[in-house]
This record gives sequence, C-alpha cells and structure tokens, in this order.
Amino acid sequence: MGVFAGRIDLQFATGKPDSLRFMRLRLAPLLLASLALLAACRDAKVASYRVPKEQPEPLPPILTGEVPAASGAGAAMASTAVPTAAGTGLTWTAPDHWKPKPASAMRKGSYAVPGTGGADADLSITAFPGDVGGELANINRWRGQLELPPLAEADLAAAVTRLDQNGLSFVVVDFANPQSAKSQRIVGALVPFDGATWFFKLMGPDALVAREKPVFLAFLQTVRPPAAALERASR
Amino acid sequence: MNATVRQFRDFFVSLKLTVVLLVLSLVLIFAATLDQVNLGVWAVQEKYFRALFVLWRVGDFPVPVFPGGYLIGGLLLINLVSAHVYRFKLSWRKSGIFLTHAGLILLLVGELLTSLWQQEFQMRLAEGETKNFSESYRYNELAIIDTTDPKFDDVVAIPEELLAQKTEIQHPKLPFRVVPKIYYPNAVLSLRASAPGDAPDLATAGVGPKLVVTPAPFTYKQDERNWPAAFVELIGAEGSLGTWLVSTQLAASQTFDYAGHSFRLGLRFQRAYKPFSLTLLKVQHDIYPGTDIPKNFSSRIRLATPASRDDREVLIYMNNPLRYAGLTFYQYQMDSEHDTSVLQVVRNPSWLLPYISCALMALGLVVQFGIHLVGFAAKRRAASAAPAS
Repeated sequence: MGVFAGRIDLQFATGKPDSLRFMRLRLAPLLLASLALLAACRDAKVASYRVPKEQPEPLPPILTGEVPAASGAGAAMASTAVPTAAGTGLTWTAPDHWKPKPASAMRKGSYAVPGTGGADADLSITAFPGDVGGELANINRWRGQLELPPLAEADLAAAVTRLDQNGLSFVVVDFANPQSAKSQRIVGALVPFDGATWFFKLMGPDALVAREKPVFLAFLQTVRPPAAALERASR
Repeated sequence: MNATVRQFRDFFVSLKLTVVLLVLSLVLIFAATLDQVNLGVWAVQEKYFRALFVLWRVGDFPVPVFPGGYLIGGLLLINLVSAHVYRFKLSWRKSGIFLTHAGLILLLVGELLTSLWQQEFQMRLAEGETKNFSESYRYNELAIIDTTDPKFDDVVAIPEELLAQKTEIQHPKLPFRVVPKIYYPNAVLSLRASAPGDAPDLATAGVGPKLVVTPAPFTYKQDERNWPAAFVELIGAEGSLGTWLVSTQLAASQTFDYAGHSFRLGLRFQRAYKPFSLTLLKVQHDIYPGTDIPKNFSSRIRLATPASRDDREVLIYMNNPLRYAGLTFYQYQMDSEHDTSVLQVVRNPSWLLPYISCALMALGLVVQFGIHLVGFAAKRRAASAAPAS
C-alpha cells in the first residue's frame, strides 16, 4: 500500500521541462493529423469489380414502347407531382397583344405571342427550386433547344447581358440559329429569387422573336417581387 | 519555455476551456434538436455534429457561425488529454478519476470513429430471392457495366459526388471518358410526350430524349428519399458517343455497344457486394391474437458462401440480428403482403467502444466513491473509537 499511497511522478512530469514541452507541442498537430487521416477514409473513389452475371433491371414499360404514352397505365412515373418553386412568386404585367394561355403544372405563366401566318412564339414563365444546375447549364440547355453547341464557361460573360431592376438581377440572353431547319430564336432571362430560379423564355420563329425583343425587355421591367419581399430586402 | 508556448499550454490545459466547451456543446445540441424539425436526424448530424463548423449560407458563400461537433469534441479531447499529461500524478487515490476520464476519452474517440467508419446499407429481399449485395439508402453511384462476358459483369462504379463535382473520369477499364454535364440531387422524370414545353434537352442517347427532367427540392424527411438524376456524356477516341440521362428511377437499365463491347449504364443505389449470398426463405409477421399489434417480425434466411464453406439457415428477428463477416443484419422493415423483407446491414468496426468506455466510466466512479467511502468510514470509526479510550 505504501508505494501506491505515495506519489509516483512520471519522468516527464517533473524536472524535465524540455520533454514536457515537446509532448505538448506535438500533441495538437498529431491529433489534427490523425483527424485528417481518418477523414480521408471517406474519399469518393471510383471502384471497379467483377460480379457473376446479373439480370439487368427492366426499363419502365412506357419507355420501351410496350405501353403507348397516352395510356394511363404506364404513367406512374409521369403522374408524380412536379415540384415547382413554392412560396411567394414574382408578379408581372404582360403586354396587351400577348395572349394568355392556361398555366400548367409546370408553368407559372404562359403566353402566345402572335406572328404572321399562325406562326406564334411561345413565352413561358417557370420557376424551380435552387439554382437548377447553374447559369451556364441552363443557358446551354436553351442553346441545345436551338441545336446550337454549348458555350464554354469562359464565353459565358460575353454571351449574356446582366440587368438589375426592381431589386432583381436578370441574366438576359439572345440566341438564334438560322442554320437550323426551323430557324428559331430564344430571348430569355434567368432570375434568382427567394431560393429559386425563375425562367422567362420567349421562343419562336427567328424574325418574330427578334421583332418582339424590345417588348420582351420592357416586359422584364414589369417583373417585380411581391411588396412584402421588397420591404424585407430594403430593411 | 518561452511565453508563447506557455500561453499555448495554459490554454489547452485550462479548466475554463472545458467549461466553455461544455456550454458550447449544450447550445449546439439544443439548436440541433430544434433544427431536427426541418432537416431530420441524419442531416442534423451531418450539419451540426459531423462538421468542424456549423455553416450558414450567405448568398453563395458558406459562413461558419458556430463551432461544430468535430471542433468541440476534438478540443475537448485535446483539453482532456493534455490536462492529464500536464497534471499527471499516478496515485492510488485518483485511480477512479483516471478510469472515468479514460472512459470519457474512449467515448469521444469511439464517436469519431463511428461517424467515420460506420456504414449503413439495406438489403431488400422477396421470398425466394437471393442477393449478394446490399444497397445504400443515402448514397448513389453511376454504374457502367461491361456485359460482354457471358459469365461475368465488369462493373465500374462512380460515386455520385464525382458527378456532382463534374469530375471527368478516365478509368482503365473503360474505353471512353465519362464527362458529367449536369447533376440534380433530386429530380422528377416525366414523359416528354405528356409534358411538352420547357425541358432540358441534353440527352442524345438512350431513353433520355423521351424524358423531361424536373429538379425537385432536396428532401430531408426520413420516410422520403431523393431520386438524383444526371446528364452524362461518354467520349471515346473518335469523339462523343452521346449524352445519356441517368436517374435512380431508371436504375442501370440502358444499354449500348461500343468498341466490340456491350455496356449497361445507369444511376443506382450504391452497392456493397459480399463474398456470400443471402436467400429469403420465409417472412413471418406475427400479431397479438385478435389485434393488429405486431408481436414479431422474422425472416428465415439461408446464408451461403460460394465454396459452400458456410451453408446454413438463420432466423433474423427483432433484437436478434445476424452477425457475419463484420456485418450486422437487423430485421428492419417487412411487407408481409408482398412477402418482402428489408434487412438493415451495418458495418461498424468500432461498435464495441461505447460499451467499453461506459464500463470504464462506471468502474471508475465505483472505485472513486468506494475509496472515499472507505476513507470516510475509517475516519468515523476512528472518531467514535477515540472517546472510549
């Protein structure tokens, strides 16, 4: 008992300040390094392996053409509600000659812009949560619809016009593809608002959309957040 | 010892630091508990506890607003260890305190290891079905499978993080580059025919052109899962092979041929293959007589290894998991109408640590109070004996 009741100091704890200092100095970096090492265990790595032959998962029948798209039977996938951006929305005033079309589940607003000979242009207003892949991806999505090659990140700045109005930041683009069979043009704008991204897109025959562009830009000036949101922002 | 080093030491060994850290962890746990309403258990753990800092997004930038679990826990660990190293005096009277603190240190380390190493998967089996893999219900992967060999499938599995980061992948087993274009953490697919209008048009191959992808908000709810989707371009030596739409709703079901090989590709739940297989023989769902209250769920499973080293039947039921090859298979869900059973498959190499640390702490407290009790009793005996003499 006598031994245990007395103090047995470890060598580094008394009279050896140098080794004590090293102990402590090394302690923190050591712990941090081991933390970093452990954290590295979860790195995303591409894996490759061989497994016995497996039966592939079947495609939904509606995609293999076994069920016609119009029938309700295969629409299980399509019938899932499409979440668009919820919450307070933007408001706008459309020019008189744009004919409102019924808004669908996907669209917040929808207008037909009449042209000559029944070739109308289509103005769609949609909103989706988040950044929906970012500016470049969405602008390239529109370019894809015109069969134009995608823009590189470096060319993005030159291809867009940025407008700040009514407390909103618009990214406006104007693309045409006269080479394509239908010779279409898109004048569109992206607006981040309240955790969502709003898309205003005018698409249709090249000449009609080019003629309508000033009207579209004037229309963008009428797009504004609801009064409550503006008040919040100005506070 | 110079002044800086001394300051550094005094900071890490101080009891004030301990108190501040404990108070911070109280606040952190309180805030995280409240936020569970919005984020659910898993996301709260990731945001508050498995992070160095709790981040708030201001615009596009994450701003640290509060120390996270890793930082507080790590500092507590450093504080505890360095205080012990600094003040260490091995004495019998303090043995209980040492044991208790050793248990606490082990608990902190154990939680860290669990958060880093624990893997949770599921295995969904229909009666009669055999599987040699489990699936993650949180992580997904892009599987590109070379199906040319009639006996084997050669799989290249790319974690979805790499798709999200748009990392180009050149793998020695693939004769093409994989270039992720767009990634949606959660998305709804609908048929283009039934939803004309504004839609991504990137896909040029596979079933993608028939479909419209609509991004959906990321869900944190426990009973919902996210269905990610991505556009992926494959580029061979002669140029692009096309851009595919992949989604966990389509699994690995799209096929194509290139360079004399047949491939299958798709986004699927991340798989973990095992060197053995499980066959679901029978599911049983017992209820208390005359009620709908479940009494017991059980799955009779046949466990087999390829070389028949192991081939036996196992009954898995509530609180009686199967432990095999470092994995634990729990009875998780059951759909007795469809004769389907879902097992939860957990790998946690450090699962014993919390038990050991709790035992250490309990033992330490017993020893410490025991020593005091014995000392106190001895003093009282001495005091009561004194007047008599």
